[in-house]
Order: sequence, then C-alpha cells, then structure tokens
Amino acid sequence: MIKITQFLAAVLLMFSTSVFAEESASFKETISAISKGVDSFFNDYTGWFVSAVFKSVPIGEANFPLIVGWLLLAAAIFTVYFGFIQFRRAGMAIDIVKGKYTDPNAQDEGEVSHFQALTTALSGTVGLGNIAGVGAALAIGGPGATFWMIICGLLGMASKFCECTLGVKYRTVLPSGAISGGPMYYLSQGLEQRGLGGLGKFLAVGFALMCILGSFGGGNMFQANQAHAMLTYAFDVPSEYGVITGLVLAALVFSVIVGGMPSIASVTEKIVPWMAVLYVGMAVIVIGANLDQLGAAISAIFEGAFTGAGVVGGFIGALIQGLKRATFSNEAGVGSAAIAHSAVKTKEPITEGLVSLLEPFIDTVVICTMTALVITIAGLNAGPFDGTGLTGVTLTAASFTETAEVFKYFLALAVILFAFSTMISWSYYGLKAWTYLFGEGAKTELIFKVLFCFFVVVGATIQFGAVIDFSDAAIFAMSIFNIAGLYLLMPVVKKELKSFIARVYSGEIKRFD
Amino acid sequence: MNEPISCEIKLERTLIQDGPKFLSHKLIVAEQVAYLKPTISAMLFCFVYIVVGFFLISLASYILLHSQKMDLAIFVGGFGIAIFTFGVSLMQPFLKRASFDKNSQLFDNKRDRKVKLEHIISLQINNKMVVRKQALSYYCYELNMLTKHGRRINILNHNNFEQLNSDAGALAAFLQVPLSDYRRKIIL
Repeated sequence: MIKITQFLAAVLLMFSTSVFAEESASFKETISAISKGVDSFFNDYTGWFVSAVFKSVPIGEANFPLIVGWLLLAAAIFTVYFGFIQFRRAGMAIDIVKGKYTDPNAQDEGEVSHFQALTTALSGTVGLGNIAGVGAALAIGGPGATFWMIICGLLGMASKFCECTLGVKYRTVLPSGAISGGPMYYLSQGLEQRGLGGLGKFLAVGFALMCILGSFGGGNMFQANQAHAMLTYAFDVPSEYGVITGLVLAALVFSVIVGGMPSIASVTEKIVPWMAVLYVGMAVIVIGANLDQLGAAISAIFEGAFTGAGVVGGFIGALIQGLKRATFSNEAGVGSAAIAHSAVKTKEPITEGLVSLLEPFIDTVVICTMTALVITIAGLNAGPFDGTGLTGVTLTAASFTETAEVFKYFLALAVILFAFSTMISWSYYGLKAWTYLFGEGAKTELIFKVLFCFFVVVGATIQFGAVIDFSDAAIFAMSIFNIAGLYLLMPVVKKELKSFIARVYSGEIKRFD
Repeated sequence: MNEPISCEIKLERTLIQDGPKFLSHKLIVAEQVAYLKPTISAMLFCFVYIVVGFFLISLASYILLHSQKMDLAIFVGGFGIAIFTFGVSLMQPFLKRASFDKNSQLFDNKRDRKVKLEHIISLQINNKMVVRKQALSYYCYELNMLTKHGRRINILNHNNFEQLNSDAGALAAFLQVPLSDYRRKIIL
C-alpha cells in the first residue's frame, strides 16, 4: 500500500511538473490552434443554427431578436392568463415552502420537502448567470439593462409556474423506477391527451435535441470556460492552462454523474446554497459600504432603461440585453426547471408550480439586481457600452474588487462551485433528454456522461466566440418547443390551479400552522 | 413512573435515507466468519477524489516553489486538501469491514455497539427511492437486522437487488435466522 502511494505521488508530481514545464510557446500555440479550429468548426457548421435562433428584425437602430420577443410575450400572456399569479399567490407559495400545507406527521422517509426542492433548484439557477451574465448584460446594455432584467424576472415567474406544474403532472415512472419528467413528457403526453399526439411528439423530440445541445453548451462549456476565466482574472493564471482546470473539473463531474455516490451529491447540494449566501453577503457589503452611491446607481438603472444612453440601439438595445441575460439566468420558459422539479414528492402539481415561481424572483429580481448595483456603483462600466472593455465575469469581479481586494478570492471560490453545481444540474437535464431519445440503459447513459465530461475539458481549454454563441442559441432554442406546448397546455394548468385553490378554501387541503 | 413503555417497531421502514447507485459491498462467508467486502467500483469512485486532491496539493507545492503566486498556491492547495480529505472520509466506511464472527459470537460493524450473534432474531429487506434533484432518482435496497432488544441495524445499503437478495439469503442461513422481504410499492 505504501509502495502504491509512493508510486502515485511520483507520477503525479512528474505530471504536474511536466504540465507546468510546458509553459512554452509551443504549448500556447497548440492550444491557440485548437481553439481556432474548434471555433471555426462551430462557426462553419452551426452558424446557420445560431442565425436562425437569433433571427432579428430591425427596430429603430437595434436588431431585435425574435426569440427574445417570443419569451417575453409568453411570460406576459401567462401572467395575464393565470391572473397575475406571481403577485396574488406569492404568499401561498412562501407558506408552501415553509411547510404550512404539509402534514408534519405524514412525511415519509426520503421525501424531498418543498423547501429542499426550492434550495436545490436554486442551486441550479443561481450561478454564473447571476455573475457573468449580468456582467455581460451591463457591458453591452448599460445600467438600464438591469430594469429589463427585473421585468423579465417578474413576468418569467408565471412561465416557470406553468412549466413546473406540468412537469409534475405528466411525469413518468421509468421501468428502472426512476422518476422522469419535464417538457419531453408533458409535450408528448399532454398534447396526445388533447388529440395532438403528432405535434406533441415533434415538439418533445425537438426539445430533447436542443436540451442535449444546451447541456453541452451553456450548461457545460460556458461554465467551465468562465470558471477558468475567473481564475485568470483573480490569480493571473494563463488562459492556456484551462486544460488543467478542465481536467480537474471533469474528474469531479465524472465522479458525481457516473459514480452516483450519495454523499458527494449531498455535499454539492449543501455547499451551493451557502455559496449563494456568500455571494449575496459580499454584494450586501459592497452596497452597504457605498450606500451614498446607491441612489445614483438606481437612477442610472431607471434612466438607462428608457433612454439607453451609450447603448447601441438605445433603450431597445438595453432591453434586448436585459431580457437575454435574465432568461439565461433564471431559465424561465426554457423548460429545464420543469425537469428538476418533476422529481419532487408531492400529490399536488400546483404546489410545485407555486414553489418554482419564487425562483425567478430570487434569482433575477434579487440576486441579479444586486450584481447590477455592485457593477453600477463601482463605475467601471462606462459608456459607450459596446462590450469592448471589461465584460462578463471579469467586469463583475473587478467591480467587487473595487471595494475589497479580498473579494476576488471569495468570488473565485463561488464561481468555481457555481460552475460545478450548474454542470451537475445540466448533466441531469441532458441525461433526461438523452434517455428520452435513446432509451434507458447503462451503456447509453455512459456514452452521454463521458461525452459530457469531455466537453468540460473542451470548454475550459478553448478560447471561443462561436461556441459561446452556439451555447446561447441551444438554450434559447429549447424555449421554442417548450413555449409552443405551454400555450396548448395552459388550460390544464388553470384547471389544476382552480381545483387546488377551491380545495384550500373548502378546507379539504389543510393548513398546518 | 414505572409504567411499561410500549413501542412499535416498523420493520418496513428503511433506516438510511440515502444510498449509492451501485453495488457497494458483497457478503463473503468464510467458515466461521461472514463479512462485508467493499467492491472495487465503490473504492474507485472514492479514489478519484483522493487522486484529484493529491494532484492539486502537488500543483500548489509546485507553484509555491517555482513562482511567487502565494495566493494561487493557497487557493489551489486549499481546494486540494478539501477534496483529498473528502475522498479519505468517503473511503473510510468502505475500509471498515462489518463482520459476523461465530468464533467471538459477535457482530461488529466498527460503528455501532457490538451485538451478540444470539441476539439477532431476524433480517429484513427494505426498499426506498433515492430522489435527487441533480440526478436520476433510483431504487435502493437495505438489508437490516433486528435484535431481541428491538434495535434495528443496517447491514447492506445499495441498489443491486439481485446481489443483496442473494447475500441476505446467505447471511440468514449463516446466522440461522428468518429473512423477510418488506419491499413495498413506492408512490411518489
């Protein structure tokens, strides 16, 4: 045993030394050549897909992507259709999370409570979208993008309510006993019940394909890439050493998604909410330390929202960036949250829908706004907002560091753990879509998992532009199929909601205070 | 004050909320001793953490020796120590072999109080659904034992039912106690 340990130590030291000894021009050139190759591959073969998803129409000086309008319109329609549920039933949603509608004596072992469901789902949504996404939105859309992010977050609550309710209602128990749910199932089964089986199948397959691509892109490569970008910013690590970051992250992701070790999953689920607390804590400190500038920052946000000063395309430009990054962050209407929420143990789909509507509020309205305030207060994001200066995670990190240098270390810790947690979440979403298309089976699932880990290394290694565009496009494309189905299935949700509310008022569903 | 305390033992209840999604242990019966042997796959997944942790610690040492980036060395080393410690803590339960020894007439799982073999009155197979938000949910099975004093102790906990059922039968024969299948339909 001692000999094995000594051998292993020697090999690892040799490896680590040789990797660092490779700090030579040839290594940089190789990585750079691979980056360019991959980027050009994505540009050549997926450029048409990105253009199609982000097809724009000129509005004033700006090009307005139709997909952004598609998401915004859907959120507005769901808000009106469900009678402004995000405002009228927010109290009930909080009570469900508090367990006031759960019999304390009836809880079975192994049950995931609504509070646990909310925190774990939040760990999937609170992540780099709140840090890097807001940085990117403000770098291109100016402070005014924040206002539109908030609007998108508020309206998106209704989209999330609708999709998560359907996720639980139409979930399926697979032959293995695994619970599977999400848009693939409600689109195919729900629409079949309404006599639209063919359309449902088409939408479900389309969604599943986009979900797999999204899991490799935004849910994986983007995360790994930004995690290494943060290390580069905080510690001046050369970007070509992303391969090491990628290999370490891939090994850990592999252990979790292939190993299925329960304690590892538990640790991940427990750490990430604390990372969110750490991040919010740092934002509160920055805002608190610069309280005298808060008023000016809020003014800049409101003024920028309607004037769009310094933004390409004026206020429409700010609106586009705000809506795009808010959707990327809270995933409302995308359908991914419905996959996560379908695993909860509940008899009432509506309760899960109500719990889920709190997510865009916490994620976008609260946390993204805090990030935006930190960036605006720091004043590093000056016009014209064309994205040529600091952007993404580096803009956010630099803004935090303006108040305290030490924050960049905490931020690096939070970013890496957020990236890791988001990759785990998206591996799950991708796997669900994969098993929907190719069926369950150890070998089939292993292929996906190995591919997923491979893309972690690619994401951290490559300096890309086209891959980021593709990652974005795949996630937004999920919403095309998802929202089309939601329109057709929203009467089902409304019926469930009416029934639930009636039973709450009649006392059939008891409240435990 | 001296009223007899009655309590109901629910044999259909599982004892552990979580469980691995792989075969973690097998029962080995060797004449007078039956013990639980961890599988190689279980050890390997723990080992990934030890290797990654060790690699990061080595990397941190290299950075410390060859560059002035103290903050990076601390950051990488801190991560390495955390991951390495985590891997070791994961590995430890696998290294503690629970055994039923007819020579000493004791059951010892290196965790709970030792139990005399004659006090073990039955074995139960239970099932549960491990529900995760970030992974596919899956069935998991437990082999538990009941002592004559009403204690229930977990023996096996993994998701390979065929192996668990076979091990349970072998252990019941070894201990000469009845084995009951308390699996139930789980409705989410």
